[in-house]
Amino acid sequence: MTLQDIKPGEFCVIKNIKSNNLRKRIIDMGLIIGTKVYLKKTAPLGDPVEIIVRGYSLTLRKAEARTIHVERVDK
Amino acid sequence: MNIALIGNPNAGKTTLYNQLTGANQTVGNWPGVTVEKKIGKLKSKEIQADIVDLPGIYSLSTISLEEEIASNYIMDREMDLIINIVDASSLERNLFLTYQLLDSNIPIIIALNGMDIIDKNKEIIDHEALSKELGVPVVPISASKKIGIEKLIHEVETFNIHQTRSSVQYNDAIEKVIEDFNHYINDRFLSIRFFEDGLDTLVHTDVDEKDQPKLIKLYHDAKNDFELDIDMVLPDARYNKIIKLISNTYERNDLIKETTTDKIDKILTHKYFGLPIFAMIMFSVFFLAFGPLGTYITDQFVWLIDQFFIFIINGIDSLGMSPYISSLITKGVFGGLAAVVGFLPQLMILFLAMAVLEDSGYMSRAAFIMDRALRRFGLSGKSFIPMLIGFGCSVPAITATRTLDKDEDRKITSMIIPFVSCGAKAPIYGVFAGALFMNGSYIVVFSMYLIGLLVAILSAILFKKTIFKSASANYIMELPQYRKPTVKNTWLHTWERSKDFLMKAGTILLASFIIIWFLSYFGIVDGQFKLLTDDQISQSFLGHIGRAILPVFKPIGFNDWRSTVAILSGFVAKESVVGTLGILYGVTGDVVENGSALYPAIRAAFTPIQAYAFMVFALLAIPCIAAVSALKRELNSTKWFVFTLVYEMVVAYLLAMAIYQIGSRDLGTVLSIIFTVLVIIFVIFMIRKWIKQKGSACATCDGCTPNSGCSLPMYEEYKEQIEKENKDHEN
Repeated sequence: MTLQDIKPGEFCVIKNIKSNNLRKRIIDMGLIIGTKVYLKKTAPLGDPVEIIVRGYSLTLRKAEARTIHVERVDK
Repeated sequence: MNIALIGNPNAGKTTLYNQLTGANQTVGNWPGVTVEKKIGKLKSKEIQADIVDLPGIYSLSTISLEEEIASNYIMDREMDLIINIVDASSLERNLFLTYQLLDSNIPIIIALNGMDIIDKNKEIIDHEALSKELGVPVVPISASKKIGIEKLIHEVETFNIHQTRSSVQYNDAIEKVIEDFNHYINDRFLSIRFFEDGLDTLVHTDVDEKDQPKLIKLYHDAKNDFELDIDMVLPDARYNKIIKLISNTYERNDLIKETTTDKIDKILTHKYFGLPIFAMIMFSVFFLAFGPLGTYITDQFVWLIDQFFIFIINGIDSLGMSPYISSLITKGVFGGLAAVVGFLPQLMILFLAMAVLEDSGYMSRAAFIMDRALRRFGLSGKSFIPMLIGFGCSVPAITATRTLDKDEDRKITSMIIPFVSCGAKAPIYGVFAGALFMNGSYIVVFSMYLIGLLVAILSAILFKKTIFKSASANYIMELPQYRKPTVKNTWLHTWERSKDFLMKAGTILLASFIIIWFLSYFGIVDGQFKLLTDDQISQSFLGHIGRAILPVFKPIGFNDWRSTVAILSGFVAKESVVGTLGILYGVTGDVVENGSALYPAIRAAFTPIQAYAFMVFALLAIPCIAAVSALKRELNSTKWFVFTLVYEMVVAYLLAMAIYQIGSRDLGTVLSIIFTVLVIIFVIFMIRKWIKQKGSACATCDGCTPNSGCSLPMYEEYKEQIEKENKDHEN
């Protein structure tokens, strides 16, 4: 399952990040294996998505969200 | 002393910079790029110090030109002291950069910003404990409320930049790898950077070229030492340190479930309301600048300037100077000056509006909302505003591109803005469409706006696909907390940017006006070189140039030198195209105000298709001098500037030629041309699709860039070399 499959209002934990253009930046922004992420909303046009991670709000495109493998968790 | 101000974007860096320096600032550009470089003097009676405001960064590993400037500045240690501004409201992520900086031996003072909000939320951050743990001074401040600024300045004044601090220690496995690297790099900070960024770091070191393969081998050996992916090892270690640090020093208020930002975002980025609200805000910005208010202020301002000039002109006349000098001053210099300052009111209104949108945090939301729609064109959500402004006037629009985040965005956007039909081009359509297209005139005028927009968008796509290939894919953006913009900050933003336009674009503009003045007011009449009056433009050098270059314009339907002269005069200001036509056709009265006076002359001189080609050419060809000087200023590179002008000229010429040539054939020829073009487009499309399918291995991976994990040092390339060396060694 990837971050793209998580619906607004759900929590998940990062399992793996596949290689992509922004991999290093995504890691530096605090998305590391084991990090908990809350999916807040998608933009009005359906893409990008807004997530809450480490207490701040980050937006990324679905192209990158697809490369972040996660596991859904309850809160 | 040289101090660098470093921090995450949106941490309040610019506000703090303004508080620390006051009005003593110089704004320039970093060499070769369109990134602002701001240097100011520290407000201190004790010491002399320059503060450099570096572009905001999240990490020393970079993904854009701006970030690279900041990161290189740090890696080359070009400062004596760093003031690291840390936003208390997202401490965890802000401290990541702090820990990267702590890996170096550069002296650091931390300014913990946003403490007023922490207090308001009844939370506590123990800054003394934080300072003790990090080993550097921590000064709690609120940049927007001006709290703690004096204390920060005092800390800088009394700071001993020669004292050393112990470096951040990681676990044994990591320390071993760092030590291995350090054996070759001889610098702990850069060894850690090599751990994270790989080969890119080596330009900052003096590692021998023959040692590089050894370093790369070490790097690849290190991969097996860790359970985590190697590029996650250091970030993971840092974030673990940060979490521990925060749990010891930060007392959170768990009662707050929904922040003000959450509440505002519920509306502003709402699934259905988000887009209409965005459209409304954009419209209001446009309306403010070009609506009744903006026009009124501009008119008043221009009137005032005119009065001033008239006053001086009268003074000059009474001095009884030679007609040459008086013409130079009144028509050349004042004409230029009036054009420069005439832009000022609208420019300032726009910059004011943009500063408010930016400082409040809405601009990031605009990018979030519009990303999907604009990414195809290689533009970001923020490019929308300059594009829209372009319908009013290219000059403020091009200048406004400076508020965009990335160098590539700024370049692409300023290069396409001149295609967007500005307000000054409207009278041209009015006269031609009115004279020749009767009832269809509205459709013709509308088609001009559409052609301009289409050419702009297609050019953006073309630039993105060819020249700025690497730039397009990156989007990862924080949505910052909403903030109330401060008056001081907004004003400084507005004034700095406007002043910069006046100084830089103004000088080029003035010089060009004097040249154009010379060309249009001097000529050889009856073998005599002399100063001409307004209605003798056909005798002027400009008139002669117009006649000389007429053959070049034949293929696009010009068969009268008057058309070329009118187009040339449009270089001064697009408004003068119609005015010049009036003079050349000997029509009296104000043709700009009342276009119908020109109708008979135009009906006699143009066929509808010639007129259409003329309009398209006037729309797309090189913009007026003011826009050209703004372009020169914003592109900040002669290469790009010349390229843009040539590109615009070529596009205008080709399109006008296509329209004229196809338009003047009979229906059968037109249909067969259209059919041929369609077939060619189809074939190109199929070939492209075929190449694409062959070339890509998977759908989701866009390949590698220097910043992605997969392109870290390529072991394979060096493998043979290393093995060979080992063999030599054994022998």
